Amino acid sequence: MRDPIGSERAAASEALSLEIEKANYFATAARENWISFVSFALFLIFWELICRFEIVGPYQLVPPSEVVTLFIDKFSNANPDGALLYQHAAASLGLALAGFLAAVVIGVPLGLFMGWYPAVNMTARPLFDAIRPIPPIAWIPIAILWLGIGTPAKAFIIFLAAFVPCVINSYTGIRLTNPVLIRVARIYGASNWETFVKIGIPSAIPMIFTGMKLSLNAAWTTLVAAELLAASMGLGYLIQLGRRLARPDIIIVGMLTIGFLGALMSWLLTRIEARFASSRRLT
Amino acid sequence: MILSKRGASLIAPAASIGVFILLWGIISLNVSAEFLPSPLAVVKEALRLLHANIGGTSLWGHIGWSLRRVLIAFFLAILLGLPLGLYMGWNRVCEKIVSPIFEVLRPIPPIAWIPIAILWLGVAEGSKIFICFVGAFVIMILNAYTGMRYVDPLLIDAAKSFGANRTQQFFNVAVPACMPSIFAGVQNALSMAWMCVLAAEMVGARQGVGFIIIQGMDLNKPAMILVGMVLIGIIGSLLAATLRQAEKLLCPWRRELV
Repeated sequence: MRDPIGSERAAASEALSLEIEKANYFATAARENWISFVSFALFLIFWELICRFEIVGPYQLVPPSEVVTLFIDKFSNANPDGALLYQHAAASLGLALAGFLAAVVIGVPLGLFMGWYPAVNMTARPLFDAIRPIPPIAWIPIAILWLGIGTPAKAFIIFLAAFVPCVINSYTGIRLTNPVLIRVARIYGASNWETFVKIGIPSAIPMIFTGMKLSLNAAWTTLVAAELLAASMGLGYLIQLGRRLARPDIIIVGMLTIGFLGALMSWLLTRIEARFASSRRLT
Repeated sequence: MILSKRGASLIAPAASIGVFILLWGIISLNVSAEFLPSPLAVVKEALRLLHANIGGTSLWGHIGWSLRRVLIAFFLAILLGLPLGLYMGWNRVCEKIVSPIFEVLRPIPPIAWIPIAILWLGVAEGSKIFICFVGAFVIMILNAYTGMRYVDPLLIDAAKSFGANRTQQFFNVAVPACMPSIFAGVQNALSMAWMCVLAAEMVGARQGVGFIIIQGMDLNKPAMILVGMVLIGIIGSLLAATLRQAEKLLCPWRRELV
């Protein structure tokens, strides 16, 4: 502290050495990428071989080459499940996104208000805490009883699944607002509402995005569960049908599509976050 | 002022729960019991189920079956996932070998494994434990791996300059440093396993808490479903609370963040 310039220099050199370490790490990482390729190729060959030599039966596992063939075939052949792969995917995506968006629109403001206004917190929190430990999947039977096995029941379940992380994270985000910023706003004469909108909400945005990512994940998982139990369309239905027909190729194509779409959606949300949160970051 | 605030913080939750139950009661008077049973009916149903025989097993028996599946899968996931995740974070070659396969399987929700698990292992115990295992295992690996990757390199360097060998650096410095991340993973893994057992039991089982609510749906008894849901919530919270206590004992330096 006696020598501010010196300590600054030390910090700068430390940052530099960290950069160098990172650069080194990635350089070696790129050089070692062949290990990954070899490992993945070996995995596929092993998988192909245990099927070809019938170490596992055709009703348990099919070789990857047949999975790829079926995947291509499912874009033009509606049998045996009555729809093309992208139609199943579109049905699932539509439902998941509808439930997710509804949860964001309702859950994020609720969390923010709970975090900012103690009165809202005291009223909404007990109910929320009572509902929170029940996994969204446990709502499926009652939702079917209330709303039938159609779209509304599924949308309701997905909404519930996505709602909880949205509320928790926006609540936490706004509670973690730097109190110094709030005091500064107050000193400059901002009203409580202005402070909430201009200081509280922007500083909660990173946490809100974390919540949205968790929500999306929960929505997608829960959708699969709902479609396993009651559906006539969608990726969950596709894999459930694959089980009934003892067709592992259908199941594997469905699982990989589910995984790929889930990963794609989180990736998109991360891109949106990077663009949106960086322009208005408060430190 | 402080007293009245404390009073409000006690009264408000009670009032909000009270209003909720009152509203529920009023609504249930105006719709059929097949749709929404009254709160009293749910309590009665809970008392009845305590001694009733649900599909050949008592209520406690169902809870026991579910817990058994969850705990077997949970401990298997820790046993296999923790060392693998830690070693992936420690050794770059191991990371490079495992990560491509792991990255393909990771985004698939454990519930999507249910159909193939049933094809592989039948509808018996094996498939249910397998699904819970998949859910918990992925979380354990991710947390152990991330924790290890974020260990402060300064700590490792310090250990190195004091002459610690590679094994000592790993066990005495790196592993303790990623304990918080491991514990977060353990907690998430357990709640994930609890959710997965529910899904697996709902798709096909004769015992377990998931069976209770599916049975309620099949018998068209919403009171039974609601009792099952509350039961599931309570057991889930108890499991989480147990782990939090364990964490306080095992890594006390994390207390302020809990």
